[in-house]
Amino acid sequence: MKDMFIESLKNLFKKPATHQYPFEPSPPPPNYRGNIVYKKELCIFCTKCELVCPPGAIRFTYNEDGSREFHYNPYLCIYCGECVRACPKAGCLIQVEEMAPPATEEEIPNWDEIEKEAEESKKRWLKARKKPQAKKS
Amino acid sequence: MGNRITIPFGSQHVALPEPIRFVFQTENEKIVDVEVDVGYVHRGIEKACMTKFKYTQVGYVVARVCGLCAISHTLGYVTAVERLMEIEVPKKALYLRLLVSELDRVHSHLLAMGHLAEVAGYENLFMHTFRDRELVMELQELVTGNRIQFDYATVGGVNRDLSLEVERELREKLKDLQERCLWLKDVFENDYTIKLRWKGIGVITPEMARELNVVGPPARASGLATDARNEFNYLPFKEVGYKLITMKDGDIYARNMVRAEETLNSLEMIFNLLDGMPEGDIKVPVKGLPEGEAFVRIEAPRGELFYYLKGSKKLILDRLRIKVPTFSNIPVMKELFIGMDYADVPATVISFDPCLSCTAR
Ligand code: SF4
Ligand code: SF4
Repeated sequence: MKDMFIESLKNLFKKPATHQYPFEPSPPPPNYRGNIVYKKELCIFCTKCELVCPPGAIRFTYNEDGSREFHYNPYLCIYCGECVRACPKAGCLIQVEEMAPPATEEEIPNWDEIEKEAEESKKRWLKARKKPQAKKS
Repeated sequence: MGNRITIPFGSQHVALPEPIRFVFQTENEKIVDVEVDVGYVHRGIEKACMTKFKYTQVGYVVARVCGLCAISHTLGYVTAVERLMEIEVPKKALYLRLLVSELDRVHSHLLAMGHLAEVAGYENLFMHTFRDRELVMELQELVTGNRIQFDYATVGGVNRDLSLEVERELREKLKDLQERCLWLKDVFENDYTIKLRWKGIGVITPEMARELNVVGPPARASGLATDARNEFNYLPFKEVGYKLITMKDGDIYARNMVRAEETLNSLEMIFNLLDGMPEGDIKVPVKGLPEGEAFVRIEAPRGELFYYLKGSKKLILDRLRIKVPTFSNIPVMKELFIGMDYADVPATVISFDPCLSCTAR
């Protein structure tokens, strides 16, 4: 009984095991697997990253002139880092410790549109590329 | 003979927030019949792996079968692919896989023990166990970079190396954790109320266990020496001091004690493997496509996890089959309930540490 009382008193003044969250930020984890950052200058548009990404969080859309655009959806990404490992240009894709911000309506990329556009523009681009070759042969 | 009353347990229940449904027929508190339904959360993961995802991506998909044993699922899959394609995995990668798989076991076992304490009405012990589990979660985050979906193993090796700082921190925190686990084991072993509540309840006899093919800690608690770590050579467990732990009683108390002992053994193994960590690469490049069939048995925290896969030199697999531990344990649960007091049902169910997201993947 006495021990229990002393223990209870001690516990009153002990540091709590949890974080006092809104008053004290939860500590940023070192080495956390966060978002993917893309550097356009370095990219050679090999689309290896698009091919390996398990949930399809990276998509390329094709412009008329054959140039490509990179799209990344941080809310679909599972932060596995496969794209970083697959990328032949070191530093083009890097994984940072930042997390995706809380999603609000305006910030979410319109991913359905982008996916549709990626499929269709790729088909268009492939068709356009085939034609001149067909003429040659 | 009293009135026959039908009592549904689940699909959501305070003791088990997982979608499994038992319908009990009771007579004066005694259960006379039971029906089980597990098909509430079927997500079609096997099918998706056979139609949508390339074999290199499947490891990341199966990791999402279950949040708790994400590591075991990936490990099962990548081991099967490596066997199929005859890939020689570097020794260091195997050691790192062993490290995370044992950390995973510690955290899963602590969860099971805490949960069991909670359904016994011992909230305080539940809180203690879960606080200590937080330590393991931190360690897992340190090693793999994430708290639940670890994505650590990949075909041909592992994704991250262990840096010196991480190793130092690991050792420090592990010492702390070991002390806490010893204390927890002491409480679980010697507490008077817990003994009253759990001893002699839900007994699985060795014959029952053998006949109904029980796996994991429930089987070992009934004296059945079955452990995939011991029987199937997928990671170098024997090199780092693996011990097979069995008990005789087969009741809830014994199942819990098997888990407590295994936790300590896992921590011991982690210390040993950190001391003997080999040098070298953590990954080898993978070439070619899987062809043929392979199966692999992995000891997940809850018991034997079985992976079967079949490929025919295509990017997408022909067949992937996952048999999870809880699925193997459901028949014995059903058998056990008949003749039992209804009041003992929650504790018995939880003592199996059932995982429905695995069962109905
Ligand atoms: S980290 Fe994984 S999920 Fe995210 S974009 Fe890269 S490959 Fe895709
Ligand atoms: S893998 Fe790298 S270089 Fe290739 S397209 Fe993706 S970002 Fe660009």
